[in-house]
Amino acid sequence: MKFTLSCAVVSGALLFSTTALRAQEAVYQPPSGQTPPVAPPLIKGSPLDHLANDPKLAEPSIGYREGHTEGDAPWIAHRLIDEQGGQGWGWVKKSGDDWGSAKWIALQESLGLAVAPHRKLLKADGDLNWEYKFWGKFASYKAYDPRMDEQLPVFVLQGYEVIGPAAPLDIKEGPPGRIQHRPSGASSRSSNPIQSGGGGID
Amino acid sequence: MRALLTLLSLVFLGALNASAQDREDIVLTGGPALRFMEHGKGDVSHDVYWFNFVDASVIRLKELKDQAKPDELVTWLIYRPAYAARSKEMGMDLLAQLQDKAKTLGVRLVWFNSKDELIAYLNRGLDRDKIKIGDFDYFGHSNKACFLFDYSNTIDTMSIAWLHVKDLGMIHSDIFASDATCKSWGCHSGEMYSQWWKNHFGVPMTGAIGKTDFAHGGLPQLSNSDGKWAE
Repeated sequence: MKFTLSCAVVSGALLFSTTALRAQEAVYQPPSGQTPPVAPPLIKGSPLDHLANDPKLAEPSIGYREGHTEGDAPWIAHRLIDEQGGQGWGWVKKSGDDWGSAKWIALQESLGLAVAPHRKLLKADGDLNWEYKFWGKFASYKAYDPRMDEQLPVFVLQGYEVIGPAAPLDIKEGPPGRIQHRPSGASSRSSNPIQSGGGGID
Repeated sequence: MRALLTLLSLVFLGALNASAQDREDIVLTGGPALRFMEHGKGDVSHDVYWFNFVDASVIRLKELKDQAKPDELVTWLIYRPAYAARSKEMGMDLLAQLQDKAKTLGVRLVWFNSKDELIAYLNRGLDRDKIKIGDFDYFGHSNKACFLFDYSNTIDTMSIAWLHVKDLGMIHSDIFASDATCKSWGCHSGEMYSQWWKNHFGVPMTGAIGKTDFAHGGLPQLSNSDGKWAE
């Protein structure tokens, strides 16, 4: 849900205040008379602190590594933006396999270890059609994309290395169910789609 | 011997008391996003305030407690993992705060960690042959097809814990009292979820056509002038 101006102020205080950094208390006591309460100071060195305050790049740095990257990379990943509005990250395939075997994935970041490469960029699509070596595994559960009313396999990212930009792939983005879709009453691609307003979620 | 008789009496009285409870009111509360996931999204950034759903739930729980008969159970179901993750991010023990709120309200707090656990509670958490659900309220993220207990907390803009309209069939259709009142305070539920709910359970569920807004500090309001509540 969208928040009011007061929330925006709170957010700004949370995200951009570098002078108020201090140790956290076990139980936060909000100031009296304020609703909603002011957020506690940003934890220095936390993933959110790095996200909010680290300098951003225009594009990934080739060869950059993050997280656990020991041994040969078991996976190769190709970043792609879903033009239909889905929130899938891109394609992941086993190293050595062809792209026809790739899976369209939801990327689960491991905060404090390895986060999505685009977190370091000025724009979230700044690594469109870039490729990476991925370390990690597929989760036993799936993710639900509320904008598309579809489920995606979850890749839990534990480390990555930037390979570099690549030619666009000649495969249609999205999970197999989308490509072979048959209309149903609960689908975003029926005559009455899930998407509405700001993505249909709140 | 006297102690044994006393114990048996307490058990007997407890059984009498339990059998008198034939209704349960449930407030179901989903979790907030992580700020890490929502940072930089401007005016579509979700859950800047971590207890937006909780504060609204507390208001409704107070109403239910005030209205409840002495033998009526009021239960607060909360999706625990999202609050545990937000606690870690913020360096605050939100779980302890939730326990304190439930204790202050005098309601039963039941954590759930997954859709399966939620469904198990609704089906078998109490003897549903005897104790029907008389009131149900949902506070959390939603689209028209889903309650999203987890949203942008584990995976950016996605959910790993949800109850889709297609999942309703896993819940026994006779868990509600025939005069039960149900309401989703989340967005868009009235556009699809309410219809599937009525079809499956036989009782109406009020839901929003359009978005709802939790930012005013009270019970959620419709965000847009053209929005409305529907069943």
